[in-house]
Amino acid sequence: MAVSVDPIHQFEIQPIVSLGHIGNQQLAFTQSALYMFAAVGIIALLTIVATSGRSVVPGRLQALAETLYEFIADTVHQATGADGKRFLPLVFSLFMFVLVLNLLGMLPYSFAVTSHLVVTFGLALVVILTVVIYGVAKHGTHFLGVFVPSGVPKPLLLIMVPIEIVSFLSRPISLSVRLFANILAGHIALKIFAFFVVQLLVAGAWGVLSPLPLALTIALTALEFLVAALQAYVFATLTAVYLADALHPGH
Amino acid sequence: MSGGAAGGGGGPEKASDDGDLSARLKRLETQIEGKRPKAAPADAARKATPGATSSLGQAMRLSTEFIAGVIAGGILGYITDHLLGTKPWGMIVLLMLGFVTGIYNVMRVSGFSGHKAEKDRR
Repeated sequence: MAVSVDPIHQFEIQPIVSLGHIGNQQLAFTQSALYMFAAVGIIALLTIVATSGRSVVPGRLQALAETLYEFIADTVHQATGADGKRFLPLVFSLFMFVLVLNLLGMLPYSFAVTSHLVVTFGLALVVILTVVIYGVAKHGTHFLGVFVPSGVPKPLLLIMVPIEIVSFLSRPISLSVRLFANILAGHIALKIFAFFVVQLLVAGAWGVLSPLPLALTIALTALEFLVAALQAYVFATLTAVYLADALHPGH
Repeated sequence: MSGGAAGGGGGPEKASDDGDLSARLKRLETQIEGKRPKAAPADAARKATPGATSSLGQAMRLSTEFIAGVIAGGILGYITDHLLGTKPWGMIVLLMLGFVTGIYNVMRVSGFSGHKAEKDRR
């Protein structure tokens, strides 16, 4: 059987409508962009249309929207305190966007947008730039206190401040790499184990073993759903934690 | 509960509006709390889950936190060498600094370094 077994193939960007070229680079409306629009549409449906009834006893969709909202509101409140409320729209949007994209990626034959580092790094940059711009605008030079850990003896600051600076710069990297690596690795593992089933089935007597990778694939699918939700939650939580630094720079 | 739309809209407003909003939310909360028969068991279950997921989420943080430190150090080293022409040294020093940062990040997330862990835990 000569099926295409390339586990990376599913992550290829395919243009849907070409919009022309800049140099050698094609500009196109890709399937990635399509999925992002679909995600925004789903979120809008869920949060605007489902809650437009504003019934006191919520229907299913309204209850879902309200539960998600309260969940993120709780998270933001715990991480940033009372004055972090103004960042709730940002954190909630990021959470919903990542969550819906992750879950859309779990549909068979679909494309996981968050498996691309460009997308996740773009989202992480939004977070970090918000932290830096808001922090500097609110606290001015006092924002640099974020690099000075408290309760550290003076001579040690010579070492600790560079470490804190690199640590701060590593935040967007860890935020984006975590999301992208989890989704990418999960989808590749799923594809590989699923293909083991096919390979064993066509290998004659070895077909007896094929239920093993099948069971593993099913278990991995469940795990991937957990990871999809968990990574969106982690992304939102860390966003809130980093935003707390912008609100209160001196630890 | 139904304060959801109002809370979302009040985000970008000024601090005084935030205080006003939270006062209104609190009033609404006490009103609802008075009318509610009792805390439903489902509500308690929902409160318990964030703790469970966050410890798994924390476990997933550790590895990337370390790798990100090393990568950040490497990128900084490359940029320094490129701009200042200090060919191998910027990379060597900053990569080691990145390594240290990675360890420091992991220690902070896992709560080995005292008071900072409290803030970063959630």
